[in-house]
Amino acid sequence: MNHVTVESADPARMAAPEGGREIELRDALREAMSEEMRRDARVFLLGEEVAQYHGAYKVSRGMVDEFGERRIIDTPISESGFAGMAIGAAMLGLRPIVEFMSWSFSLVAADPILNNAPKMLYMSGGQFGCPIVFRGNDGAGGQLGSTHSWSVEGLYSNVPGVKIVIPSSPYDAKGLLKTAIRDDDPVFFLESERMLSVKGPVPEEEYLIPFGQAIVRRAGRDCTLASWGRPVNFCLEAAEQLAKEGIDCEVIDLRTIRPLDIDSVVRSVRRTNCCVVVDQSWSFGSPGSELAAQVHAACFDDLDNFVHRVHSADVPTPYASHLEQEYLPNVRRICEAVRHATYRA
Amino acid sequence: MCAESAKLSVMPPTALDPRALDRPMPIDITMPRLSDTMEAGTVVRWHVKEGDAVLSGAVVADIETDKATMEMQVFDDGTISRILVPEGQSVSVGTKIAEIAGEGDAPGATGAANAANAANAASAASGASTSSTGGGTTPAASTSAPKSMPTSGPKSVPASEARPPDAAPSASAADRSSAPPPPPPPGADFTFARAPTAGSGDGPMRVSPVARRMAEEMGIDLSRLRGSGPAGRIIKRDIEAAAETRGAAIGSGNQPAGRSTVGASSGSLDRSPSPLATPVVPAAGAAAVGGTGLALGARSGLQSAEYPLSSMRQTIARRLLESTQSIPHYQVSMTFEMDALVALRGSLNTDLQTAGVKLSVNDFVVRACALAMSRHPFFNASWGGDRIHVHQTVNVGVAVALDEEKGGGLLVATIRDADRKSLRQISAETKALSEKARTKGLSMEEMSDSTFTISNLGMFGVEHFTAIINPPNSAILACGAAVQKPVVRAGALAVGWEMMATLSLDHRVIDGAMAARYLSTLKHLFEHPTLLLV
Repeated sequence: MNHVTVESADPARMAAPEGGREIELRDALREAMSEEMRRDARVFLLGEEVAQYHGAYKVSRGMVDEFGERRIIDTPISESGFAGMAIGAAMLGLRPIVEFMSWSFSLVAADPILNNAPKMLYMSGGQFGCPIVFRGNDGAGGQLGSTHSWSVEGLYSNVPGVKIVIPSSPYDAKGLLKTAIRDDDPVFFLESERMLSVKGPVPEEEYLIPFGQAIVRRAGRDCTLASWGRPVNFCLEAAEQLAKEGIDCEVIDLRTIRPLDIDSVVRSVRRTNCCVVVDQSWSFGSPGSELAAQVHAACFDDLDNFVHRVHSADVPTPYASHLEQEYLPNVRRICEAVRHATYRA
Repeated sequence: MCAESAKLSVMPPTALDPRALDRPMPIDITMPRLSDTMEAGTVVRWHVKEGDAVLSGAVVADIETDKATMEMQVFDDGTISRILVPEGQSVSVGTKIAEIAGEGDAPGATGAANAANAANAASAASGASTSSTGGGTTPAASTSAPKSMPTSGPKSVPASEARPPDAAPSASAADRSSAPPPPPPPGADFTFARAPTAGSGDGPMRVSPVARRMAEEMGIDLSRLRGSGPAGRIIKRDIEAAAETRGAAIGSGNQPAGRSTVGASSGSLDRSPSPLATPVVPAAGAAAVGGTGLALGARSGLQSAEYPLSSMRQTIARRLLESTQSIPHYQVSMTFEMDALVALRGSLNTDLQTAGVKLSVNDFVVRACALAMSRHPFFNASWGGDRIHVHQTVNVGVAVALDEEKGGGLLVATIRDADRKSLRQISAETKALSEKARTKGLSMEEMSDSTFTISNLGMFGVEHFTAIINPPNSAILACGAAVQKPVVRAGALAVGWEMMATLSLDHRVIDGAMAARYLSTLKHLFEHPTLLLV
C-alpha cells in the first residue's frame, strides 16, 4: 500500500485539479475498479455483459483481458441471483463489485440488496459484514420510458445500513468509487448514463475522496443550491444564469447522501439565509425532503423563506423527449425556484 | 394508479398525524401575584408573539407591579396561541392574559398560525375530547386540523396553486385540459405554493425567521414594518431597508442621551457596550422608540455589539430617567475627618473578630445617616405634588452593584428602621442582603420602602461622585472612600483620614442650607463616632 492522497475536509482541496489530462466518466470508473483490483485480489466484478461484451456501456472495456474470466464475470439476466451470490461472497471475505446495467433492474433484487446486505452486520451480531459495491446507471433522461428511468435513491436512501454515493463528475466518480470498494459496508454507487461520456480532469496519481464530505462547487451569498449527481451541473448552469439577474448562488455538491454532510449545507445557509434543494428523485419521502427537513431544523432562525425543492415531477417518467426534459429538474426550473426562494419571482 | 392517488388525496393528511389526536386543551396564562400587596399588574413587555413556541421556564413577559418590574415565566411547553393583554395595559391579578396551545399545536407556523388557532380553537378542543373518549377521529375533527397551517388561508386554495407546478410547469391551459389531471402529490405541493395574499394588515403578522431574528438583534419594531413578501410576510430585505432608514434618521433626535446619566447613577458599573438600541421605556412601546430619538442605528457607521435589555436594565433606565427629568437635582458636598471613626472601627473589629463581625465604613455611614433623621426629618421625606410626606420610619436603602459577569445591574436593598438598629445589626443585614442580591436576587419586601438611599463607591477607591435620587426619596448620599491625606490639624500639617460625601437633593423638599446642616450633623457624628454606638 503506497502513499495515497486522501482528501481532507478542506473544501479548497477537494476539487479536481485544473489542467492535466481529461477523461470520460466511464473511463474514470474503470480506472477506479482496475486500480483497486490490482491492489486487492479479493475484488472482482460481476454483472450482465461485463466481460465478453466489455460492458453494456463499455465501462469495463478491456478489464477481462487484464483480470481474466475468474474476476470479470458475465452473469445470466438474473439480478436477484447474482446480487444474492455476490452478497454471499462478501460475507465470506471477498469484495464484489456488482454492476447493474441499470439501477431500475435492481428492483427485482430488492430482497438481497435491501433486506440482506445492509442488515447483515447487524443481524449477525457482527459476525458477517458485507463489503460490497452495487453500481450502475440511475436516473432518467435517455428516453427509456417509465420502467427503466428510476432514480432509486428516493427508495433506497430510506434504508439504514447502506451508503449511497452519487457523483457529479469524472474526478469524483473515480475518487468515490475507490473509497466505495475499500469500504467495509454495502455501498450503492449511482452513476448517470447521461454523464458516462462527459469528460473532466482526472489526475494520473492516485487519490481517494472520503464519504460524507460535500464540496462547494461555486461560492455565492444569496442562495444555497444543494444537490448531488447530475443535477449539480444544472445548478451550476442555473447559477450562471441567475448571476446575470443579480442573484448570487452558492452551489454545494453533497457527493454522498448517506452519509449526508448536513454541516456544509448548514454553514452555507447560515450565510445565505436561503436554500433550494435540487434532487432528481420524486419529492415524496426523498433525500431532498430529508435534507430540507434537516435544514429547517438546523437553520430555523436563519431562513428568510422555507426551503424550496426542485424534484422530478410526481408522475411516472414520460417517454416523449420534451416531456422528459420538463419532468426532470432542469436549469429553467431551478432558476424559477431560486427566484421564488429569494423573493425575486 | 389514479385510483390510488385519488384515495390518497382525499384522505385527510391529518388523520396520519398523531398530534391531531392528542392535542391538549389550551393552557391559560394569568396575571400572577408577585408580591403580597399586589392587586394588579402591567404587562410592560411581551417577549413572545402569538405563534411563538415556548418551553417551560421561558420568560414570556415583564410584569410591573406596584413596586418593581419582574420577569414572568411559563410552566408549560407549547405555542403562544393568543395574547390577550397588550403591552402597557394593567389588569388585576388572576386575569387571563395569554393562552398556550399545547405541544404539537401549530408547530413552527410562526405568526401564521394565530388566525388558524383562534378559528380552530373550538374544533381543536373537540378533537381532544374525541380522543379522550376513545372514539375514532371523525372526518370533521381531523380535517379541521393543521391542513390549513402552511398557508393559514381560506380553504378554497385555487387548483392552480395547489397542484404541483412540477407536474406541468409551463403548460398552457389547453395542455392542462388535454392531460389527465395530475394527482396532487402530498408533500410536493408546497414547493412553490404561495400563501394567499392577505387583504389587510389586520391578520397575524408574518415574519420570516431570519427577519425576526435580525429585527430582535437590531432593535427594530416589527409591528411598524410592512412586509414585502407573500401575504405581507416581513423578510430579510425589509429589515435591511428599515435599518437603513433608521440609520438615516439618526441625528434628527435632539434629546439628551439617557445613557450617561444612568451610568453615573449606577456609577459602580459601567458596562462596556452600550445597550442603547432598544427603547428605554418599554411600556410606551412604539412612541418611545420614535420619541426618544436617541437609539443608535444599525447603520450609524459605528461598529457595535448589541445587547438586549434585561428587565432590570429597563427598570434602571426608566426610573432614573424619570428621576433626572422630574426632580430638580442639586448637589452639596462635605469632607469629614475620619481619624476617630477609623480608629474606632479598627478596635471594634479587632475585639469582635472572634464573633465574626467586621464592620465596614459604610455601616457607620448608614447608622449616621439614619440617626441624623431625627433632627432633619425632611431628609426622610417624599415629594407629594401638593404636599410633602415625612415618613415615620427610617428605612435606609443601600445600593448594591451586581456582578458584571451576571449581567451587571443595580439594586437597592432596604435596611428597615435603620435608626433603631445597632451597627452590628446594620452590618449583618447589609451583608446578608448584598449576598442575596448577588446570588438569588431580592424579594419585593427587601427592595421596597426605602426613605433615603446611600450609594458608596469607597471600596473602589472613588473619592468623589454624585448620584441620582432614587424616587420617591428626596435625597441620596454618594459616599467616597476614607483615605489618608496630608491634613491641617490644629494649625499644623499632619497625616489624617478623610472622607468626602455628596448629597443629591430634591430642591422641592430640601433647600441648600438644610443640606448643609444635615451634612454638619453627619460630620459631628463621624468625628465623634462613639455617638454611633449608643
